[in-house]
Amino acid sequence: MDLKQLTALHGPSGNEGAVRKAIVQAAGPLCDEVKIDRAGNVICFKKGSNPDTPGVLFSAHMDEVGFIIAGHTEDGLLQFRPIGGIDPRAVVSKWVLVGDSLIPGVIGAMAIHLQTAADRQKVLDYEQLYIDIGAKDQKEAEKLCPLGSYAVFDTPYTPFGEGFVCAKALDDRVGCYNLLRLLAGSYQSDLTCCFVSQEEVGLRGSRGAAFHRQPAVAIILEGTAANDLGDVEPRFHVCQAGKGVAISFMDHASIANRELFRQMITLAEAADIPHQIKQGVTGGNDAGSFQTTGEGAKTIVLSVPCRYIHSGASVCKLSDVDAQLALAQEYLSNL
Amino acid sequence: MHTEEFLKAVTALPGLTGNEGQVAEYIAAAFRPFCDEVRIDKLNNVIAHKRGQGPKVMFCAHLDEIGLMVVKIEEDGCLRMGNVGGVDPRILPGMRVKVYGKQTLFGVIGAKAPHLLSKEESEKNYKREDLYIDLGLPTQRVRELVQIGDLVTLEARFAALQNGRYATKTADDRACVAILYRAMQLLNDMKHKADVYFVATCQEEIGSYGAGMTGHSVDPDFGVALDVCHAVTPGAPKIRTHQLDSLVASQGPYLHPMLRAKLMEVAKLHNIQVQTAIVPRATSTDADGLSVQRGGIPTILLELPLKYMHTTVELLDMHTLEEGARLLAHFAAAVDESWEEALWI
Repeated sequence: MDLKQLTALHGPSGNEGAVRKAIVQAAGPLCDEVKIDRAGNVICFKKGSNPDTPGVLFSAHMDEVGFIIAGHTEDGLLQFRPIGGIDPRAVVSKWVLVGDSLIPGVIGAMAIHLQTAADRQKVLDYEQLYIDIGAKDQKEAEKLCPLGSYAVFDTPYTPFGEGFVCAKALDDRVGCYNLLRLLAGSYQSDLTCCFVSQEEVGLRGSRGAAFHRQPAVAIILEGTAANDLGDVEPRFHVCQAGKGVAISFMDHASIANRELFRQMITLAEAADIPHQIKQGVTGGNDAGSFQTTGEGAKTIVLSVPCRYIHSGASVCKLSDVDAQLALAQEYLSNL
Repeated sequence: MHTEEFLKAVTALPGLTGNEGQVAEYIAAAFRPFCDEVRIDKLNNVIAHKRGQGPKVMFCAHLDEIGLMVVKIEEDGCLRMGNVGGVDPRILPGMRVKVYGKQTLFGVIGAKAPHLLSKEESEKNYKREDLYIDLGLPTQRVRELVQIGDLVTLEARFAALQNGRYATKTADDRACVAILYRAMQLLNDMKHKADVYFVATCQEEIGSYGAGMTGHSVDPDFGVALDVCHAVTPGAPKIRTHQLDSLVASQGPYLHPMLRAKLMEVAKLHNIQVQTAIVPRATSTDADGLSVQRGGIPTILLELPLKYMHTTVELLDMHTLEEGARLLAHFAAAVDESWEEALWI
């Protein structure tokens, strides 16, 4: 399954079913064992050829940011709340799909002609934003999109520029894509790949995966914010799209194991894999769960830089996706 | 071509104010099978003629659209943008665009990440000046392909919603061009004395210029401008909005009272619902430019309610659009010489 197909699947946190199903199907032929655990994670195991090498666990999250329907107005509009951190300023005049039957909707806002000077300044928060599916009244809206229906951005996968792609859910289908590519290879060591649920709402699925697997080493494949364009001072760039896989020393959820951190840089340098050190400690991801669940694990995060990461139009460079895979493979073959 | 099909195709085409060539060609080709003569004038107005022996009546809807223009290329290869018409900057973050450089380039509008904003900044909307277009290209390549003044259109998607409602870019005002398209087909099966002109006008978004030019060249006895108006939207003043599911005919000093009364009579006769809007001064539509040509052209305004005007998700009701075509065709068939005598007494 390619990145286009993976980003076309809809899996807002708590409703990852479509992604889970597709990954079970795609991973099945590549693994010795595929199972779904009680937290909704897909755990894939592939036996290595040499039992003397240590096993390793990789993890990426299946879920994406999205919305949940929280109310209906008399005139048939849907009130909604974000699932995960979506800036309300990036949702006006965008397309969404609502519920299991993927009902098309749009997020409109009062026309500019009708706005006061104060309206123009004021950020429309989720209390003042609505999804419009064209329903005539509350009854119709409730019937088509009941409370608790999930919604996702409806954004086509669009390659552009020199090797870039714009899509929804690059965070973290890039990681899922690379886990599937990892599973296609053969290794000396035992390989466990976890496709986890509910990262965007508090690193929840990964706690289950960490508890059950208790790995010695957990390597997280992620997408992370790249603020490398516009008026951002270089010290706030975090990482740059096109400069390779970003290796984290620390973020808000975990501290990288120093040995792993140094080893990744050494491996990347030796194999000439484009890489960068993630600047700053922004964000947090499933490494936090693996590091602190049960007896804990040594962790490291390898990320693909993503611009506009939690919007409906996230952007990454495909060469960075390949660099993330190359470094993961390099690590596996040097165990 | 079915009306939906025409609407989908025509709203997807680029036609920023002042650069309407491509969409004008498309509209002219679509109109041609249903009219006696279709021409595109030197500023990209499309003038379609269905001959008749009676009074000359002109129906017009504008074909231009709002969008953006490249105003600066930054060191990092990002483009800064200016407005062509009134684009609401609130819709821009995360918007996907096309930049018409030496090649047509895909771009994404980026903004400073929310976690990098100060508390004060994060409580306000992004300003257009702070946003940028990311082309995914090295600066050198951007400079080769793009120059200041190149045009930028917003993403064109056509979403079929419930109840025959559609959300699309540029429903303002190509949904009304679609009314013209459908009305000329209906009129083909009707008897009409009137000499009818269907005109898709240029340059409305910066001031009703195309309607002025074509009002001059067509020199009609009566004019009907078609444009969109605001449908009910949360937070919007009630007095300035109307229901999505029926047409609107405005009333006020810029619009001719007798001609409007005739329109309402025709609507009643054919059981077509029409709401009334009160416009005390300029209508900010083609009616303003048209009504003052050639010493004065009695003109009225027929409007299609639209939610979320000047966004990429302008939402309309297809039934209302069809009713607009029906009303226009019946109105054309009703136009009579006797109206001239009754204009002011």
